[in-house]
Amino acid sequence: MIAYKFLRADGTSPFATFRWDLPDTKPGGWVEARVDPCRSGIHACRPGDLPFWAGDSLYEIEVDGEIVEGRSKLVASRGRLLRPVDAWDDELRGAYARACAERAHELAFGATPPLEDWYAMAEASIDQGAGPIGFVTARIAEEALGPDGHRTERARQAAWLVEQLGLGG
Amino acid sequence: MPEFREHISCRELVELTSDYIENALSAEDAELMEQHLNYCAGCERYVDEMLRTIRAEGRLREEGVPGETLTPIITAFRERRRS
Repeated sequence: MIAYKFLRADGTSPFATFRWDLPDTKPGGWVEARVDPCRSGIHACRPGDLPFWAGDSLYEIEVDGEIVEGRSKLVASRGRLLRPVDAWDDELRGAYARACAERAHELAFGATPPLEDWYAMAEASIDQGAGPIGFVTARIAEEALGPDGHRTERARQAAWLVEQLGLGG
Repeated sequence: MPEFREHISCRELVELTSDYIENALSAEDAELMEQHLNYCAGCERYVDEMLRTIRAEGRLREEGVPGETLTPIITAFRERRRS
């Protein structure tokens, strides 16, 4: 199964701080771990999970063996990095932040009364990376549209990323 | 109401941090916590400092602490216990 994995710029995973064998002309080596979500296992994103974990660098990962699907990720017993997703570069990260900010503006000033404080928070988070601006925009959607707004906005962000990254859904 | 919680607050994260570090959280709470850490630099620093402190405490031994440092610490703890 093909999935996606965000790593820090140094090739480590954000929470386990595991240093991955990065692919170059060929895939990285297989990594194996017991599956225990959020504690052990190869954690990866399905396309719809991408906004929740947006980070420095993005890789395509092949996962195999036992696979447990969670709300915003999957956990597998085996995985190897296949290739970097080069489209996730500074330019696209900036474009994603701007797209989120534009959407935050639309949601905040389309609400009655306008969510000016929330929009100010969105503006302040534009330069903090894809994670913060994506979250604040989803929170504004929740404030403006109700409890389902958050999830709907995350799905919208995922669709944007899938299209722009050329992941084909 | 949504079937699941979509996020946790910074205050909730602080309350969950010890259990997170001890791997005692449910998978759902741990997932919400890690999502939060992905967008909140302040909480990321907080958890990082907690982990550093725990690692440092794990290395400290009483015999390695100079007397002029140890005595005031023990006194302060005893006074705190009495108060």
